[in-house]
Amino acid sequence: MGYRILDKKELAMKEMWYKIHAPHVARKVQPGQFVIVRAFPNGERIPLTPIRWDREEGWIELVTFVRGKTTLRMANELKPGDELLNVAGPLGNPAPMKKFGKILAIGLITGMVEVFPIARAWQEIGNDVTTLHVTPEPMAILKEDFEESVSRHIVEDYPLQPGWGMNEIAQELVRRAVAKVRELLEDEHWDLVFIVGPAGGQKAVFEVVREYGIPMEADLHPIMVDGTGMCGSCRVTVDGEVKFACIDGPGFDAYKVNWDELIHRVGFYTDMERRALEEYLKSLRGE
Amino acid sequence: MARRKKPKLIKERVPTIERPPEERIHDFKEVNLGYTFELAVKEAERCLQCPAEYAPCIKGCPVHIDIPGFISKLVEYRDNPDKAVKEALNVIWACNSLPATTGRVCPQEDQCEKNCVMGRVGDKINIGKLERFVADYAREKGIDEELLFEIVPKIEKMGQSVAIIGAGPAGLTAAGELAKLGYDVTIYEALHEPGGVLMYGIPEFRLPKEIVEKEIEKLRKLGVRILTDHIVGKTVTIEELLQEYDAVFIGSGAGTPRLVNAPGVNLNGIYTANEFLTRINLMKAYRFPEYDTPVKVGEKVIVIGAGNTAMDAARSARRFGVEVTIAYRRGEEDVSAREEEVAHAKEEGIKFVYFVNPAGFIGDENGNVRAVKFEKMRPLEERDARGKRKIEGTGEYVTIEADTVIIAIGKHPNRLIINTPGLKVERGKIVVDENMMTSIPGVFAGGDAIRGEATVILAMGDGRKAAKAIHEYLTKKREEKANA
Ligand SMILES: Cc1cc2nc3c(=O)[nH]c(=O)nc-3n(C[C@H](O)[C@H](O)[C@H](O)COP(=O)(O)OP(=O)(O)OC[C@H]3O[C@@H](n4cnc5c(N)ncnc54)[C@H](O)[C@@H]3O)c2cc1C
Ligand SMILES: Cc1cc2nc3c(=O)[nH]c(=O)nc-3n(C[C@H](O)[C@H](O)[C@H](O)COP(=O)(O)OP(=O)(O)OC[C@H]3O[C@@H](n4cnc5c(N)ncnc54)[C@H](O)[C@@H]3O)c2cc1C
Ligand code: SF4
Ligand code: SF4
Ligand code: FES
Repeated sequence: MGYRILDKKELAMKEMWYKIHAPHVARKVQPGQFVIVRAFPNGERIPLTPIRWDREEGWIELVTFVRGKTTLRMANELKPGDELLNVAGPLGNPAPMKKFGKILAIGLITGMVEVFPIARAWQEIGNDVTTLHVTPEPMAILKEDFEESVSRHIVEDYPLQPGWGMNEIAQELVRRAVAKVRELLEDEHWDLVFIVGPAGGQKAVFEVVREYGIPMEADLHPIMVDGTGMCGSCRVTVDGEVKFACIDGPGFDAYKVNWDELIHRVGFYTDMERRALEEYLKSLRGE
Repeated sequence: MARRKKPKLIKERVPTIERPPEERIHDFKEVNLGYTFELAVKEAERCLQCPAEYAPCIKGCPVHIDIPGFISKLVEYRDNPDKAVKEALNVIWACNSLPATTGRVCPQEDQCEKNCVMGRVGDKINIGKLERFVADYAREKGIDEELLFEIVPKIEKMGQSVAIIGAGPAGLTAAGELAKLGYDVTIYEALHEPGGVLMYGIPEFRLPKEIVEKEIEKLRKLGVRILTDHIVGKTVTIEELLQEYDAVFIGSGAGTPRLVNAPGVNLNGIYTANEFLTRINLMKAYRFPEYDTPVKVGEKVIVIGAGNTAMDAARSARRFGVEVTIAYRRGEEDVSAREEEVAHAKEEGIKFVYFVNPAGFIGDENGNVRAVKFEKMRPLEERDARGKRKIEGTGEYVTIEADTVIIAIGKHPNRLIINTPGLKVERGKIVVDENMMTSIPGVFAGGDAIRGEATVILAMGDGRKAAKAIHEYLTKKREEKANA
């Protein structure tokens, strides 16, 4: 039993959109929740976020940002009409849906995908939401959708320089994010800051927000396997206690997160992820 | 039934074939190859055929299989292996529908084989391996399916339906029994493969996944519907299930890993046994990069704990060609894993360190674990409720180097289920009455969800008992409806 891919598009460079038949998820999912997808018999289980859904028609939309083997392989090998092997969920807790007032919702690179359903829902229930996407050019994830859904959408993008590696990209991301957020906090009053993205960037932004004492929520992205609270791969330390992000989160109070630990944990498999990608690229080249 | 005459006592067990340690530590293929028909008959002949009322083996088996009964069939029909196996399987199935599994994983030394009469004069009968032989032979020859469709010729449909939560041994057994009784059964399973611990926990070298898959195929042939990727409590609630089905059975197991409460437990390289084994068994990380899911096994591995889970984690790690040490806070006499597993672990070169309790984990600047600090423990004369000697800390510490640590100190029942409103839970375990019914009418439970971490056979026994109780409950419902 699989989950049919009803439609698939490349929205922008590296940004893939899928419409999936998954009635069991569509019926229940709330903004802030995620699913675990397995696309290939020898593949990983990866968490992805439904950005839109139709409870009656039974579909969900997913957007992936191509970054490693699984997201690339999905982009390359799946066609409309194919099936995803597994779509489990919805998982995790919904984002708190209440009137905070003026909200700054930040997405760093791919994190912007997950900001979308939450920011839109916040705006719908009467919050004044500004979204900020910090990303290398030209990856403006869901730009028009954001512009339609929230009070104001800001894209802070920057050109990639020739010869930059992952480190340089990450450093520039942090530099841009910190500068832009500082500017926004300096000029305007905010009731809540929300952020999704790589842990290093989240931490750097948090440090700025803390100076202004504004409440801040963060969706965390530790490595997950089952997503149901069974394995403990996704554990994070929050307020001195060990929590499982998949069932206790993914949203947490940014002031209570042990950021350094999270940064270490998400990087644990980097060498193996790179190897998986390289071997896949080799196989594509027929080596 | 004609009991055969005993010409003479054969004191020694007929050995099973085992792959040598130096060969098997390089792969994940099964370690014990079991009996052939000839060897099984030879072992069966040793059984004294104690009368069923007195046979201590039957008393020791939690589901009371007629052990001399099934063993005698192997001897009786020795000239017709297919018939012998079919008859024996029929006896076993009266009490146990997963013999290929239990024959491999039951702690026989504490159950059926514990008081075997043969033990007074020689080796006890190898009941587990005989049970396994019957099941394996039947599966390979298709005899099990043949029998299944003989004993369930025309299932009379009851027109009622049951939802089962969790596809572990408890849920699978309940599903099978209820399907045979004529109910429409749907299993809701959170993971992408049914099987529970049999799939994600117990490694291939002890329980080949093909066996579990075959069992599940049989259930499907009985008409059981299995919905994977459905997490009860998220995808659907118990309340909603009760609107759609006439009864619900919870077999969600004890999947939440317990962590050591010591500083540094979230350092990289520290796995729970559940994560480590799930990556390896369910996701096949030992075949990375052919399979995408990674697992990192360092040069020096420490496994904390000494139950079945600890042995499975240690022996899996050993198969990556590294040094593995099991660290246990009690002494050798209290190791709770199956005897065979401990023996295999030792043969495979795994070291055991006793009377050490983790007090902290030491990491490097990159957040990777480098060593475990243990407090040395000392045994006391006093014993606890489970008969284990109490221990106390000595205030002395030792530090053992490790770049991978696997925590295998137990598990709690799954949280998503026990948070159901109205469901009575004590110390994390779902409370049931003598009919396996929970505090919610029409909702039954069994297996690790009510016991905490227990065994496969107890979970199956619960599944069977609950199926009977559900049958009674639904029969009453039908009658009430007919009378109304
Ligand atoms: C709750 C949650 C929601 C997410 N939603 C989205 C989304 O809507 N769209 C999207 O593009 N991405 C999303 N992600 C991230 C997504 O899971 C990763 O992009 C994906 O796993 C990358 O796989 P890969 O094989 O392509 O890359 P890899 O090379 O395997 O990994 C690249 C990076 O992705 C992260 N990652 C890898 N495996 C996992 C895993 N099993 N669990 C979590 N993170 C992992 C790690 O940081 C890693 O360094 C989400 C993550 C979480 C935790
Ligand atoms: C590594 C390991 C080795 C073991 N070795 C042995 C051994 O040698 N001998 C022995 O007798 N016992 C052994 N045990 C114990 C034995 O496996 C368990 O007692 C037995 O599996 C319990 O069966 P169960 O059906 O109650 O639960 P499980 O086998 O845990 O199955 C529960 C199922 O429910 C699913 N589930 C959980 N929550 C939900 C939800 N919310 N919605 C939907 N589905 C859900 C889970 O994904 C799982 O598939 C071992 C356990 C482990 C972990
Ligand atoms: S089910 Fe377990 S305890 Fe019972 S006879 Fe079989 S191996 Fe022994
Ligand atoms: S106790 Fe031992 S000898 Fe007696 S019937 Fe059981 S297995 Fe046979
Ligand atoms: S991903 Fe396994 S417990 Fe959260």
